[in-house]
Amino acid sequence: MLHRLAYPLFFLLLFSSLPGAAETTPYRDELKESATKLRLPDDRYWHVLLHYKPGLFGTESLVDDPKFFLSPEGKHDPSAELNAAIDGLFAGGLEEQTIPRCRFPARYDWLIRRLTVDLTRLPEVSCPTLEEHRKRIDAKSASLIFASGHMNAPASMFGHTFLRFDSSYESPLLSYAVNYAAQIDRNDNGLVYAVKGIFGLYPGYFSILPYYDKVKEYGNMDQRDLWEYRLNFTEEEVQRMVLHVLELQGIYSDYFFFKENCSYDLLFVLEIAAPTATLTDRFHRFTIPIDTVKTVRAEGLISDPVFRPSQARKIRHIASSLDEADIGRARSVLDNTVAPREILAVDIPDADKGKILDLASEAVQLRYAKGQYTKEEYLRRFLTVLSARSTIPAAESLLTPIPAPEQPESGHESSRVALAAGIREEDPFLEVSGRPAYHDLLDADDGFTPGSQIEFSRATVRYYPDTGRFRLQEWDLVHILSLAGRDDFFRPVSWKFRTGFATKPFPGGSDALVFFLNPGGGMAWDIRPLGLVHVLLETEVNVAGRFNPDYTAGVGLSAGILRQMTRSWKTLLAARQMAGVLGDEKRGREFSAILRQGISLGHRRAIFLDVGRTISPGVHYNEGKFSVTFYF
Amino acid sequence: MKRILGIVALTLIFASTSFAGPPGNAHHNTGCGLGTVLFQANANDSSLLQAFQATTNGTMGNQTFGISSGTSECTQPKKFVQNERLNEFVYANLDTLAKDIAQGRGESVQTLAELMQVAPEKREAFYRNLQTHFAEIFPRENVEYAQVVDTIVRLSS
Repeated sequence: MLHRLAYPLFFLLLFSSLPGAAETTPYRDELKESATKLRLPDDRYWHVLLHYKPGLFGTESLVDDPKFFLSPEGKHDPSAELNAAIDGLFAGGLEEQTIPRCRFPARYDWLIRRLTVDLTRLPEVSCPTLEEHRKRIDAKSASLIFASGHMNAPASMFGHTFLRFDSSYESPLLSYAVNYAAQIDRNDNGLVYAVKGIFGLYPGYFSILPYYDKVKEYGNMDQRDLWEYRLNFTEEEVQRMVLHVLELQGIYSDYFFFKENCSYDLLFVLEIAAPTATLTDRFHRFTIPIDTVKTVRAEGLISDPVFRPSQARKIRHIASSLDEADIGRARSVLDNTVAPREILAVDIPDADKGKILDLASEAVQLRYAKGQYTKEEYLRRFLTVLSARSTIPAAESLLTPIPAPEQPESGHESSRVALAAGIREEDPFLEVSGRPAYHDLLDADDGFTPGSQIEFSRATVRYYPDTGRFRLQEWDLVHILSLAGRDDFFRPVSWKFRTGFATKPFPGGSDALVFFLNPGGGMAWDIRPLGLVHVLLETEVNVAGRFNPDYTAGVGLSAGILRQMTRSWKTLLAARQMAGVLGDEKRGREFSAILRQGISLGHRRAIFLDVGRTISPGVHYNEGKFSVTFYF
Repeated sequence: MKRILGIVALTLIFASTSFAGPPGNAHHNTGCGLGTVLFQANANDSSLLQAFQATTNGTMGNQTFGISSGTSECTQPKKFVQNERLNEFVYANLDTLAKDIAQGRGESVQTLAELMQVAPEKREAFYRNLQTHFAEIFPRENVEYAQVVDTIVRLSS
């Protein structure tokens, strides 16, 4: 059987390639010549296709996987890669994955168009898997999806972006999502994780998954809202993106979480559809996902988004439409003290019964996702709530639409400089401060997670004109604060982490630069009309030669109220008492109280007014300052 | 200096314990029925790790090209087997579908109607029909997706 098949196949190959070989060489040279004439190796689109960027040692592709290049010099040599691609036009075969035209369809789609290649003079190839994938994805248009921050993980405030190929189905759930992410090692701990992420030691891969899986992942597991921005691309342009994503299948690039991250690599895919847009060239050191959305919007490629609320937002919304008694009923269903069926017998409108049970079923799912129920317990509770719920007609319980918060791209810009003038006791001072990223507790919340702060490398330099003193007042390497309100359904932990250098006063009017490390954890509650009330247990280590011995370590409590006075005016009143327990215990004792006001003047400017008092043994002072802040 | 390092380490340990979120088990269940959570709950990790994870947007899965997800490990529905997209959708969204069927509305039942080619003017009745038969569609906690598809197809034919 094998023999009988193999012989004709052999002859077929022989005859199809032999006459070809004589003829293809001149055609191949002809194509190479016209590629040179058209300067294709320098063509912008060729550089987008191969992810070429000017590097320290000349042009270099940001793709690190050797499989992505047809020429061994391909990573560094666009011209060699182009010649290899032309050679690849003449490659045939039966194994689809080894045929360049099937493996790199976007590259060849462009090359064939630019060189007006006569396909009849090439070996015939068919790419059934490629065609099947294209048909399955069935892309008609595309959307850029932004996942907003996680309630209790300020680092996620940078957001995340991915792409969706919208199909001919009405339901977006049936579309496919394209995501670029680092392939991480499950066994790595947080620190290893951070180091590998920063230094590009994880490979980044593109993935394609049904959008409903992404909705589950972001909306139901992570409780992150999604924003869907329709891209203004034609079907043909979208198809090119599909081809490019397919040729990136199984290809890695080193993942750097500050620059070459999820959002950055996605910009290459957008440039495939919109080669005239400047996207990847706008980001040099940091690629903050929301900034890429702003850039794409500035290039006119997207307009207003569709908002897809997370399950947490849904739960809060249902709860907000119920009175105290009904929320209590939902809680008792959740606590298992009232059977779901008993809710049906309560003398309240059907609409409210429906909402109570909806609240309960969402909360049951949430608890299961958090690992608070076993699968058996979850299934039993989930199904009893739902079967009671199914007896209330839908029309009886129509919920008002969930209001969308401010669009994420409408928020203030990430970098900030501030000029300030103030007075400490009788001593006036001037200050300049700056930070590359990202959000201060008192910055306007529009587009950000309320109650959160994440700042990197904020440096403040202070000058006292009367005494001529010039000081590095503060250099916060990292300052993260997450104040997440607790309520009937959510019990998040609030926490802070701050480390850096600060100039601290010592008795006798002198001061010294101190290294500090200050973590803390606690709770917060959104108490109306007061605001977000929070209490944290903190520890702090200070290190400087002026301490005796050269450090002090303490524990203490901090408490405060953060309040949104008007849409653009925020106030923070906070106090903190620390007690030294190790090292220079006396110097570890410190009380401080501060009142801060922040008034936003659009997303480029804000003014702040801070007044405070600090008391420690032998040192006490009042301080006030007024600052004008510019975001850029 | 050693002592300082020790103190710093102690402070960090305090920090990481105070950041630890609620305890819980990760769900890696794969299966053909309800309660199959595809992704590990991030809520199980400490906030600190979560903070880093969110930054890199790391994936731990290896299913990078899930163009057709496949339901082959499960019993297949009797009818409608040719509707692969329907099978995959019900398989992957069974919990949401249960919720939406019980409520008689929602994006997942709309998607279901589209996949079953229910004419737009008949959809309200379709949703209502599924809602009233909730107990029939989900008769047991361990109901599998194939039975759900079979029952839905039977109810709407």
